[in-house]
Amino acid sequence: MIEYILRGLLNGAVYALLALPMSLLFSTAGTIDFAVGGYALLAAAVASTVSGPLGLAAGLAAGVAASAIMALVFALLKRAGEAGIRIALASFGLSVALSSFVLLVWGTQPFVRSTYSTFLEVFGLRVSPQGLINLVIALVLVGGVQLLLLRTGLGRMLRAAAASPLAAELAGIAVLPLQCATVLAGGLLSGVAGLLIVYSSGLDFTASLSLTFIGFAAAIVFGIKSPIRSLLGGFAIGIIEALSAGYTSGLVTAMVPAVCILVFLIAAQLLAPNYTGDRP
Amino acid sequence: MIRRLPRNSLVMAVIALVICSLAPLKASWLDFAVMAGIFSLISLSAGLSYGQAGILSMAQGAFAAVGAYVTAFFGTRLGWPTLPVLALALILPALLAYCVARGVTRMAPLATALASLALANLVEIIAKSWDSVTGGYIGIAGIAPVPGFARPALFNILVWSFVVIAIIVYESVMQSAHGRALNVVRHDRTRAIADGVAVAPLLSSMLALSAAMAGAAGWLYVHYVTYISPQSLDTGVSISALLMAVVGGASYILGPVLGTVLLSLLVKFLPAAEAQGLFYGGALVIILVVARNGILGGLERFRPRSDKERAPHVPHVPAEARATSSAPSQHEEPKREAVPLSSEPGAP
Repeated sequence: MIEYILRGLLNGAVYALLALPMSLLFSTAGTIDFAVGGYALLAAAVASTVSGPLGLAAGLAAGVAASAIMALVFALLKRAGEAGIRIALASFGLSVALSSFVLLVWGTQPFVRSTYSTFLEVFGLRVSPQGLINLVIALVLVGGVQLLLLRTGLGRMLRAAAASPLAAELAGIAVLPLQCATVLAGGLLSGVAGLLIVYSSGLDFTASLSLTFIGFAAAIVFGIKSPIRSLLGGFAIGIIEALSAGYTSGLVTAMVPAVCILVFLIAAQLLAPNYTGDRP
Repeated sequence: MIRRLPRNSLVMAVIALVICSLAPLKASWLDFAVMAGIFSLISLSAGLSYGQAGILSMAQGAFAAVGAYVTAFFGTRLGWPTLPVLALALILPALLAYCVARGVTRMAPLATALASLALANLVEIIAKSWDSVTGGYIGIAGIAPVPGFARPALFNILVWSFVVIAIIVYESVMQSAHGRALNVVRHDRTRAIADGVAVAPLLSSMLALSAAMAGAAGWLYVHYVTYISPQSLDTGVSISALLMAVVGGASYILGPVLGTVLLSLLVKFLPAAEAQGLFYGGALVIILVVARNGILGGLERFRPRSDKERAPHVPHVPAEARATSSAPSQHEEPKREAVPLSSEPGAP
């Protein structure tokens, strides 16, 4: 039982990295990016082709490059005055294109690389060292983003843009470049997540949408508004998944992210006020 | 309001007549026409939900799959007669769509998109693992053709008459009070609420109607291909349906049909099957950026202005024109304030 929870925590750390871009982009730009899993997939594919530490950098660069496409599309659509839903549709298209690209170039091979064959014994529990590395990296990145948001000028600008884009624009903040930078940061973060997945459980070309999915589920568990909540959400999804993998069939495990999303949406709706307007 | 001539339905009927009389000349044309008709239905359903109701539904393929599995299970496994199965293939996806839409999201746009994707994912997982009903990964084979329509030429006529019926239903819904309410919702949801439109039930029933259309497409699909598996109607189908609707012009009634026929022709020239996703996804992104109202929207620009409502980005033109000619009315004040602040430079 405790072992499952621990394993869930370690997996959940990676999910938190996928949830973080969703949370950031939703708060600053009011849209969702379906291509986050695609960035992670592309980063993983590139990193597993190029060997050594150079591969990691190449993977991250690929993830950021893919998100740069999204940032460009985002800027063009925003400039044309489009609503969030059309941007979401475009990101969905990009996601499909990315996973098809990976299929075309790398084929159906799984991307996996294991660094440690031994397990650490901590208090009588078997823990993979890679899991601990994942946890540490996730904690550092989430903490870093949180500090950035709360302590720096950039963070203050981001929070202003999140609170009210119009007012932020009036106060002289360049909102559109900030939002594009958020998309790029999303590419970087999910690229890191993709690399960590390569070194722990592995993935193949079909993973793109399911990764996006897990990210969403983790982002909305405890509300989408802050990095710490994304981290906790990631842990929660990881633990639910590990427990259902341990105690139920594979069918239930596969359904976890989708069911979680539906359940959390229902819960959020029960808590939401009855009438909401589009205009403030 | 005077009822307008059902222009789109008449045009569609003529197109369907032409297709049905030309297609039987060659076997490959016939196959193409049947598949294009079936996909037209799916992309029409995507056009109704996305273009008119503004619901980004990524579950249209899944709704079609539900219709197809219902047909395969009740029609082939249990041996039910054709018409009750067709009714079930229409009702079950509609019910599913309505329940998810009403129960889960209260139709906030992004939440609905997410919920529909979750639903599509669930449908796919269930199709893969519920062996006793769906046949698991292998699927269900050996579905008999529709009795009386076994010949491909006749079946083609059946498919395109379904498309025509769908267009007639679509157009009459859009001309009814519901359709006008839908137009208000699309332009300004708050205004619609203030006008007393029950937004969430209206949008949910539109999604249900579009799911029924997709279910009918699934029924036709499985009778034509005689085989259904989890890969037949998956998320790829949903995205290509959306793409076809957006290419043709999602907010125009005939747009999805046009987009489907054009893209089905184009896909024939693709080099590899693996590149299909790259093509669809890339084309979707490019179309959204370059021609946001699709082909019919592009054509509309060259036409003299009609009484049709114009695209949603135009409405502040009349407001400004009125402001220059006469004293501005009270409730236009905030809108005029908002125009120079927004980041679009092209405000005339």
